[in-house]
Amino acid sequence: MALLSYIARRLIFVGPQLIGILFVSFMLVKLIPGDPAVMMLGPFATEDGLARLRAELGLDRSILEQFGIYVLRVAHGDLGTSWQTTMPVTSDLAQRFPATLELVTLSLALALLIGIPLGVAGAKNSRGVLRKIADYYGLMAGALPDFWFALVLIFLFYTILGIAPAPLGRLDFVIIPPDPVTGSLLIDSLIVGNWAAFRNAAGHLVLPVLTLGIINAGPILKMTQSTMEQMLQADFSKYAEMCGLPRNVVVRNALRNALPSIVTIVSVLYGFLIGGAVLVEIVFSWGGAGQYAVQGVLNSDLNPVLGFVLYSAILSLVIYLIVDLIYFAIDPRTR
Amino acid sequence: MTAAPTSPSDSQDGKTAPLLEITGLTVGFPQYGTKSLAALRNINFSIARGEVVGLVGESGSGKTALARSIMQLVPEPGRIESGKLIFEGRDLATLDSETLRQLRGREIAMIISNPRGELDPLQTVGDQIGNVLRAHMELSGDGIRARVLELLRQVSIPAPERRVNAYPHELSGGMAQRVVMAIALACSPKLIISDDATSGLDVTVQAQVLDLMRELVAGRGTSLLFITRDIGIAAHFCDRVAVIYAGQIVEEAPRDEFFENPHHPYSILLLSAFAQNERLRRYWLGDTTAGTGARTQDEGCPFADRCVRAQDRCRTETPQRREMAPRHFIKCHFPVER
Repeated sequence: MALLSYIARRLIFVGPQLIGILFVSFMLVKLIPGDPAVMMLGPFATEDGLARLRAELGLDRSILEQFGIYVLRVAHGDLGTSWQTTMPVTSDLAQRFPATLELVTLSLALALLIGIPLGVAGAKNSRGVLRKIADYYGLMAGALPDFWFALVLIFLFYTILGIAPAPLGRLDFVIIPPDPVTGSLLIDSLIVGNWAAFRNAAGHLVLPVLTLGIINAGPILKMTQSTMEQMLQADFSKYAEMCGLPRNVVVRNALRNALPSIVTIVSVLYGFLIGGAVLVEIVFSWGGAGQYAVQGVLNSDLNPVLGFVLYSAILSLVIYLIVDLIYFAIDPRTR
Repeated sequence: MTAAPTSPSDSQDGKTAPLLEITGLTVGFPQYGTKSLAALRNINFSIARGEVVGLVGESGSGKTALARSIMQLVPEPGRIESGKLIFEGRDLATLDSETLRQLRGREIAMIISNPRGELDPLQTVGDQIGNVLRAHMELSGDGIRARVLELLRQVSIPAPERRVNAYPHELSGGMAQRVVMAIALACSPKLIISDDATSGLDVTVQAQVLDLMRELVAGRGTSLLFITRDIGIAAHFCDRVAVIYAGQIVEEAPRDEFFENPHHPYSILLLSAFAQNERLRRYWLGDTTAGTGARTQDEGCPFADRCVRAQDRCRTETPQRREMAPRHFIKCHFPVER
């Protein structure tokens, strides 16, 4: 019950938070020089035509008025239309946002699988071989740009070895995509039992997931290692050792105590990667949300940008709520 | 692995052999570029079966280092440089890490001073006691639960069925202290080391916990090394008292002998510090002006710079351990005699 009322109290603030986020991003996007009317009508537009289009788009009104109109439309579930795709932003994002989510979620899962065991092993024995590996790994992952690493992987596995599919989207052209339910190709193809599509989508995911997973395992590894070191030095671990508990039990208890920090870094990475995966998305022609937003910024296409911001903000708020719930589950002191 | 503990009858000398015998123990902390800093210097000390020994000393005197040495867990980067620790006829230094692990908690248990800070904050009291039982005893799930409740009852925790599911932060200091005692008693160890265990408690709770500790130890024939800064507690509580200063045991005697006839100037200073009676304190102290800290030089008495009786010899020659009266040992060139 206490939990439900806590969630309800958190949700009350979601509305104002979202309006605040939208306001800031609206103003920031408006600061970018560039006139959508000029972009839309091209080099042969007449002054008359431009003025008419501006009036049509509401660009002749004051900036606060424009924002008010936008928020009212958003409240009715209308995120406007992208003039580049000529589609409503909601339907564009319904297709692209899940593509990014699927990519980012799997990548972080891989990053956790690499980062946590290696971090724990490094903390357990500060003079071991695994510690050396962990140190170099952290250094490498921090130094390599992800898009460059993606290109290396493509060159190796597609160009030379020929075992990876071409980096041209989420499915081969000959494969008929499953009907979108969740937007995740893996889940959707599983729902209808379309194994050909499942295998093909999984194959296309391998290289981008490897890229983002291997790179982003770096911060997870570092956080795991330093927090675990702290926890293994903590008084309760020393006491457990004095009680003669086996080493693996001591390490397991220390890991439980280290989990909140690891969950925090993962949630931060998650929020960051929704937009931050854009370079990797471009390299693999992924057609994800980050790519969509960047196109919008470059072409003064306001609605996709704000739509992306809104979706990411909602996602981040949801993630942080989940993180708080995980804290509750792990740490009795927060209950 | 047959790491079965030797039963008392197995030991070579039968009943007279002490449970724990420490000879010439020196523990040092390496320092960069110079000689290592000695935390313990040439400690000779033993504990008999069923004996309660008080180890009294100020902060930094080496009390905890001694406790950790017995557990073979000297904090990094310190290490045992020389000396022997014989527990039940076994040289602890020769045991492998797995045997040592089984020894800790099962035969030598520790009661710590800050239980709310040293218990795992994320596990219930019952789980933490259960962890120790699981590590050392062959007990099933139900057996563990029954034993946990029994232990909580033994340390007089009210409503153990409820407390078993409590987390450390939900306990009062006295309650947490009892939980730690339950953990120490869990496997019926032969030696319990209490490291400043009651110092964090207020006086009435402290008295309760001490009474309980004495009762539990006496009922089982367990030996207890009671480390404290409060010489008053040692007076009430112990069969024998040892005073440690700057890593050396400067005086060691049966309790009554120690309090009636203290010889070492430091012991007397320590006693007078706790004396409520102003006249008694002045009598003990004379016109002392206590000096600075302990000496860290190797030669000479560590207390020489603070001692009213110090003479040149004290600064150049380390006093040897000698027996003033039966079982009353002292390290001092010019002991107080009256």
